Amino acid sequence: METVLSTSKLTKNFGKLCAVNQLDLEVKRGQVFGMLGPNGSGKTTTLGMLMGVVNPSSGSFSWFGEPATHHTRKKIGAVLEHPIFYPYLSGQKNLELNAMIKGADPANISRVLETVELADRKDDKYKTYSLGMKQRLAIASALVSDPIILILDEPTNGLDPMGIAEIREIIKRIAGDGKTIILASHLLDEVQKVCTHFAVLKRGNLMHMGPVDEVGKGEEIVEVQAYHDDLGILLQEFVGSATIKKDSGMFEVMMKDGYHSKDLNRFLFDKGIVASHLHTRKKSLEKQFLEILADHKS
Amino acid sequence: MLQLLKIDLKKMTSYRTFWVICGIYFFTLIVGAASGMEFLKALSRLIEGFGQQINITRIPLYHFPDVWQNLAWSGGLLKMGLAIMVVVSITNEYSYRTIRQNIIDGMSREEFLLSKVYMNLLLSIVSMGSLFLIASVTGLIYSPELDFPYGFTGVSFYPAYFLEVFAFLSFALMLGIFVNRSGLTIILLLFSYLIELIIKENIDNYLPGIIPFFPLESIMNLVPMPFARYVFMEIQDSVNWGSVAIASVWTFLFNYFAYLKLKKSDI
Repeated sequence: METVLSTSKLTKNFGKLCAVNQLDLEVKRGQVFGMLGPNGSGKTTTLGMLMGVVNPSSGSFSWFGEPATHHTRKKIGAVLEHPIFYPYLSGQKNLELNAMIKGADPANISRVLETVELADRKDDKYKTYSLGMKQRLAIASALVSDPIILILDEPTNGLDPMGIAEIREIIKRIAGDGKTIILASHLLDEVQKVCTHFAVLKRGNLMHMGPVDEVGKGEEIVEVQAYHDDLGILLQEFVGSATIKKDSGMFEVMMKDGYHSKDLNRFLFDKGIVASHLHTRKKSLEKQFLEILADHKS
Repeated sequence: MLQLLKIDLKKMTSYRTFWVICGIYFFTLIVGAASGMEFLKALSRLIEGFGQQINITRIPLYHFPDVWQNLAWSGGLLKMGLAIMVVVSITNEYSYRTIRQNIIDGMSREEFLLSKVYMNLLLSIVSMGSLFLIASVTGLIYSPELDFPYGFTGVSFYPAYFLEVFAFLSFALMLGIFVNRSGLTIILLLFSYLIELIIKENIDNYLPGIIPFFPLESIMNLVPMPFARYVFMEIQDSVNWGSVAIASVWTFLFNYFAYLKLKKSDI
């Protein structure tokens, strides 16, 4: 698969503080790439360097296999941190300005306004928009040049649940069109819901990079509940149990490799016990994320 | 070039403050430049009160060729209004952070600066054109006789006036790029004359020879004050090419410093 972005030892120091440290990333065409990390982990600084507004201290990066110029940026739609527009211009005029800078066809404007459902407010001044509308206009401006890559930085920050759902729908729809998306977020379930690949940053260091599918592979947790006094003891007899934890009247059994919930169910049934609750849980990205961060603490 | 100018025009033409400041500036420039006779009448009434009388019609304020230098110098007094407009335009880009988004969207830093420089060029050209038009019209109305080409003596003050405005706008743009905040930049701009005056006065005793090389001094020297000629004093009545050279170098430096600052800073 074609590589759209690769960085090599990309570093940014702000005085003594090292905001991004020797970062090597690779994003391929068609991926929805999540950048995870706590606040202040260097996500926005990294994106700022990739978009030419922050000068790297050292290291390099390339878009589409070529060293970046301002012309490559025209092929990328990006919103960093929060939406930025001229407050005294209408949504329509702001997008016209974006299209002029990007050298995009102004005919795209009405289409992207439809995509983000802002067509009926396009002639109102930007400063009259709600936060959700501002975020949507920002996505519209990123889409106006019909870019190959979309960069979104915390696109659902500060939105209400409905706004979050709307933005998530828009992202999924855009990803469905085959665009490559780089999504920076500290919201883990957001990344798990929309991303195909992810990287974890902590204090400027890359902690992990890989596909989202692999999260939770190999480990399975089964929640069990049954009307039996000695359930805990019985579960320890099961050959597939790795660890057992009791949590609010429910047992959480971490399964050994190769054992699944159906094996546990059969075991209980053979013992004459019928489970009233049996639920398989895969390890969530949140759990893995916290583990990744904890692993490197030492 | 035209594309970059169009981008900046697009930002400004829907901005009410732009029209208000430009409106006040061009109104004062045009009406003020055309009202010189009224000023003289008021002045003569005042002097009459002191028991003297001057015949104002004897002062050839609007006669060719005097009118050229008279209006070019007077028009130059108003350039501060336009410079404040330039400061507002550039510092807005910082306070709204739109400069960041412009660059993310695919402008290079050079292009961003050029779009502002082209706007300065346009404002300077329009100022020069308006003033030239007023000078021509009032000259035609008031001159008792038209004697050309003698009447054109001093037209070269118009390109000099253009450079004066453009140099000062370049200075304002550079200050805006270095300071980023509008209030502080405007204060600095207003105080820059005073600061330069203090330095000049202190240096006058030791190195008077370098005074013409000061930036604001060189801009002021482009069109020297003409009115002393009406009290029979010798004035400089043609453009001094040395001043043009010095002011041109400063204009280049202002824009170059702005470029360097923009190039190396994180936005």
